[in-house]
Amino acid sequence: MTTASGTASGTASGTARRRRREPVAFGVRLVLWAVYGLPLLWIVLTSLKSQGEVLTSQASLFFTPTIAAYLEAFGDPALASSMRQSAIISVGTTVVCLVLATPAAYALARVKNAVVVGTLALLVILQMIPQTANLIPLFWILSQWGLLNTNLGLVLADATLFLPWAILLLRPFFAAIPISIEEAGRIDGAGTLRAFFGIALPLARNGVLTVTAIIFLVSWGEFLYGITFMLTPSNYPMSALIAVQAGAYGIDWPGMMAFAVISAIPVFLVYVFSYRLLRTGLTMGAVK
Amino acid sequence: MISLRTMTGPSRPSGDRRLALALPAAAILVALALWPLVQLGSMSLHEVTAATLNRDWLFIGLENYTRLFASPDFPRAVGNTLVFVAVVTLLGMVGGFAVAVAVSSPTRGASYLLGMMVFVWALPPVVNGSIWKFLLGDHGLLNEAIRALGGSPAGIGFLYDPQLALWSVALVNSWAVIPFNALIFRAALLAIDSEVLEAAEMDGAGPWQRIRYVLIPHVRATATVLGILTVVYAFRSFDFIYVMTAGGPGTASTTLPYLAYVEAFLRLDYGQGAATALIALAVVIVLALFYARDVRRSEETS
Repeated sequence: MTTASGTASGTASGTARRRRREPVAFGVRLVLWAVYGLPLLWIVLTSLKSQGEVLTSQASLFFTPTIAAYLEAFGDPALASSMRQSAIISVGTTVVCLVLATPAAYALARVKNAVVVGTLALLVILQMIPQTANLIPLFWILSQWGLLNTNLGLVLADATLFLPWAILLLRPFFAAIPISIEEAGRIDGAGTLRAFFGIALPLARNGVLTVTAIIFLVSWGEFLYGITFMLTPSNYPMSALIAVQAGAYGIDWPGMMAFAVISAIPVFLVYVFSYRLLRTGLTMGAVK
Repeated sequence: MISLRTMTGPSRPSGDRRLALALPAAAILVALALWPLVQLGSMSLHEVTAATLNRDWLFIGLENYTRLFASPDFPRAVGNTLVFVAVVTLLGMVGGFAVAVAVSSPTRGASYLLGMMVFVWALPPVVNGSIWKFLLGDHGLLNEAIRALGGSPAGIGFLYDPQLALWSVALVNSWAVIPFNALIFRAALLAIDSEVLEAAEMDGAGPWQRIRYVLIPHVRATATVLGILTVVYAFRSFDFIYVMTAGGPGTASTTLPYLAYVEAFLRLDYGQGAATALIALAVVIVLALFYARDVRRSEETS
């Protein structure tokens, strides 16, 4: 967190003293704390309430906390199985996606011709397609291949869904490596593969870590493919289970919020370890 | 398709050999992204239902499309989509910029705030959607606050009033996209030479004037590209609608991509769903071409 102010003051140190006194920006920040902080707070508070408490008032701030919802969640076999499914599917998706995206991003960063420009435009379009447009034919294709209701099918579908974005996010990291470093290696006799694995990949390490974190986060949250391609709820990842529960009548809110808090823990860990990378990495892929 | 054909062709100078590294990604994209789209087109011209999905599809020409255009759901979904995209884009862009300005001051509080907002962005959309469904409920935090302030005791049906449901989901969706947009705007703001800002201040420009005459002109290029991204994000939005209103009440918050889902997977009419999805796809391709043109332009100048 200290570096956050570090980078900001790097360019804005001259105006630091004056800006701190701006009352408008301070007021805006106060509102933002409420608008973004309260929902987070309410997830945690509600997960610590009893069902009876939630029935009488969902807004109460003072109540006797109970971990009943958590005890119930951990006693529910659906939690353990959906967590395992989430872990397998999101780690699998991240690995497949990165293994495919990294060499592709390198190639598209290094080669400059009409084919590459066309491919980039195609990737942009693919990245923007509504998921339902892929969902309908993929359901049929996976069913033809016997991959419905399997982790392999869902991992392949998820990895393909995020692949265009991963390539577009990674490409600027490779493009930023000076070509002269690679050419020096080439004179020493390094081939294409050696130039990629030996020279470019280590230098683009931050980019690979950033995109790994992003793809893990989005695949952890993906639920539409999950609820559609998994035919039995016992195969659902956590996000799909939460989505289905949120749509049901007579929701057990404390139980659901306990689920939500538990599902947010891996997100929090990845976020803590990659926050600085995310802050710059997302910026690079989106606009360049 | 284009990429695959030339990549497998005879290798020209060493530059092209590196394209072989993109082959595995190209293969899977052809198989699981482009081929499905061809199938989507085919499905939209056939009668495909739950019973016939894994058999031979009956060719029915444009009947799926004519039925879609005749259905009252279609104009409703188009109208909803327009409102939804307009709200999310406007709030996402203005909010994103305002947040970027508010958090770009070098105080610790500002950087913690940005950190928290990025965490909210990283949370699964189903989690964010569920918490808002809870907060917007009859006895949720918002309605309790409105009652406490002397508002209507019956509460406001944010998610089940046909007049309000679409707007509520659009607002929550804007809430969800603002952290990302703020991050992008913030990067553009940090790139502004501090001397420019100091010069403006020395010339007596107040905070609003600095925003109007220095900050906004400097982020214009970023805003163009980000604006298209936000339109597309809003257009393809699915998660929040699914979790918060399921497109309802009735079809009050059903957008075009959501309608495609309802037709295919709830009414089990895959052909009709495919026709709807294809129309949504056409809209995105038009938008994507604008974006690709901008990206290409920045490629050529770099």
